[in-house]
Amino acid sequence: MFKLLSNVWNQFKEYVVLVILVILSLSLLTQNNNPQVQKVRAVAFGSFATITSVFYDLFNITQLKNENSALRQVNAELMMQLSMLREQGILNRELKGMLELKDTISFPLIPATIVSKSLSITQNTVTINKGIREGIKPGMPVLSYRGLVGIIQSCSENFSIARTIKNVDLKLTVKNEKNRLNGIMKWDGEKLVIVDVPRTFDFDLGDRIITSEISSIIPVPIPVGIVSNIEEEKTGILNLIHIKPFEEVLSVENVFILMMLGNVEKNNLELNFYNRK
Amino acid sequence: MKLKYVLPLFVFIPVVLIQLTVIPFVAIQEVVPNLILIAVVYFSISNGQIFGTITGASYGLLFDLISGNLVGSHMLSKTVAGFVAGYFSGETRREKYLYTYSFTLVVLLSALADAMIFSFFSVIDFNTNFLMALFNHALLPSIYTSIVSILVVVIPYKRAFD
Repeated sequence: MFKLLSNVWNQFKEYVVLVILVILSLSLLTQNNNPQVQKVRAVAFGSFATITSVFYDLFNITQLKNENSALRQVNAELMMQLSMLREQGILNRELKGMLELKDTISFPLIPATIVSKSLSITQNTVTINKGIREGIKPGMPVLSYRGLVGIIQSCSENFSIARTIKNVDLKLTVKNEKNRLNGIMKWDGEKLVIVDVPRTFDFDLGDRIITSEISSIIPVPIPVGIVSNIEEEKTGILNLIHIKPFEEVLSVENVFILMMLGNVEKNNLELNFYNRK
Repeated sequence: MKLKYVLPLFVFIPVVLIQLTVIPFVAIQEVVPNLILIAVVYFSISNGQIFGTITGASYGLLFDLISGNLVGSHMLSKTVAGFVAGYFSGETRREKYLYTYSFTLVVLLSALADAMIFSFFSVIDFNTNFLMALFNHALLPSIYTSIVSILVVVIPYKRAFD
């Protein structure tokens, strides 16, 4: 028996090693939501990001961080206010001035810098130099003064990883600012698209797309991009809306984290409603 | 412990640092060269198929942990890439494939295997044209990676002449 195994090993050892490692990889793929795996990942990227942040600064000579930081924060706050004003303006027109909305919402923004980017066509993530210590939590939106950049995926003590909008795993509810029509936006590996939009929906080139308040991830309106193309799907009843994002993930360096999470109570209430027997 | 077993670990850190910090500056429409894969191919041809497969798996796992990707996705793709590159290892083949422009072809083949497997786990969308997806997600990054891998061949020769 031992001799047989020995012969098999000698003849096929390369394949045996390959099969063992492939099985190991596949089993790890199924364990991604395991808290232990997430903990190991948080420690690993947190430790490495400390080195990366120093290295990144050396090459990132274009940024004048300190001087620009305050201006960018003002810009981001103005962008959020402008976005809110647009929202309120449209709502006010629709309700013929009868509805009084109090502008009581303030947006706590934490300025942060991208310390590394893991770029691929499908899985773009960025590492940001703010973490649990600053109160960052998974699910918080990451934005620049131009618009939405992504969502925090996981955090360590001092760093966080964010999925950018150009990541196939991030799907967001967005809406057309002009006519309030909602849709699901995703990155298909080549472009940002709103999928399965009925042809009767009135989308035009140049329409501004913002995040929708019905989103369980980002319940505030943040600019995302503009409609760049409208493609008819093969079925003939649905359209594919192409979006040109306001922020280019490749070039963004300084971002803000919106200290706001989707309302858990609201989500639970909706889930309970859908799950009730 | 033999140096050849420890060397990949020492190489990994600078390679990943460059991959995550410098390489984004040379991206063309989100297409970036994969330096980690070039290192895996190099070690696989230098030290054999088993060594290359294990190096690929280790590099992939570490990169998954560091970059925040799906844990196991790069590990799987780099394992197979290291295995593919290992076919070009061996006493007689090593010189031929490691120090000539054939190295870029081996990198291209391994990068294709790597990118196709990685894309399979990240873009499973039946609405997308399969050939177009293959072209965009596998072929373009692989070609870019193999072009960059020319440096591995050119730089040692240039040093020798200098």
